[in-house]
Amino acid sequence: MANQEGNSRIPFLVVCTALSVIVSLYLIFVYAPTERTMGDVQRIFYFHMPSAWASFLAFFVAFAAGIAYLVRWEPHWDTLELASVEIGLLFSMIALVTGSIWARPIWNTWWTWEPRLTTTLVMWLYYFASLMLRRLVDNPERQARFGAVLSIVGFVNVPVVFLAIRLWRTIHPVLLSSDKGLAMEPAMLLALGVSLVTFTLLYACLLMIRVRVEHLRHEVDRLRELGPRSLSNR
Amino acid sequence: MTNLWYLFAAYAFVWTAIFAYVHSIAQRQRSLAQDIKALQEALETIQERE
Repeated sequence: MANQEGNSRIPFLVVCTALSVIVSLYLIFVYAPTERTMGDVQRIFYFHMPSAWASFLAFFVAFAAGIAYLVRWEPHWDTLELASVEIGLLFSMIALVTGSIWARPIWNTWWTWEPRLTTTLVMWLYYFASLMLRRLVDNPERQARFGAVLSIVGFVNVPVVFLAIRLWRTIHPVLLSSDKGLAMEPAMLLALGVSLVTFTLLYACLLMIRVRVEHLRHEVDRLRELGPRSLSNR
Repeated sequence: MTNLWYLFAAYAFVWTAIFAYVHSIAQRQRSLAQDIKALQEALETIQERE
């Protein structure tokens, strides 16, 4: 029942996301002023930072779902955890690659082993490995327990990624500081804010669709386990 | 300094990655739909035998 209600919300969420994408594109490419020193390439920032935010959100949801699974032992928490890790990997990969493309003209290198980049890469590799390791376990219950523990442990690295530019010396810019607040022009802030909303909606959209597919897979597995012999006994 | 090529490359990557992921989900859904169809056919065969 709850699953059906969730499915009915998907078209509405897709429309909201599409509208938000259109508004974001206008704000990023037309409304936001060109940055004085970096030029147009700075506009990468409006999808680099929101994709990093979406990945943090995804890993947080996976962390919370992992705890919920270990407390309640209900399979839908495992489904949510798995889907969120997968989408978190997608968004963190986007953040890494767009950051690298932005770094090339600004830092004159595709990659540098500075704290923010290194911790983000470690985070990505960890979650990627956790998805691979999950598949090595055959028993679905043990697989879910394993996935939950891996997501809870992996989340320890997320605050480290966020704080890396404050804890260590780095060339990565600090956008949000306690004394200056957000050091950006109002038009740039608006473009960033709307882009953050867009990526959050995009995350929600992908999560609902991915969860629906995982529910379908569980249903197919259940029917397969039931088997033709069991069906014939009815 | 405009560097529009980098902006285009980053933007193209974002949408390529998202569409590739959506495509992979769609493929998984298609494969599951085929499985469900096969299971339904198996069920119908059993019911016909009864």
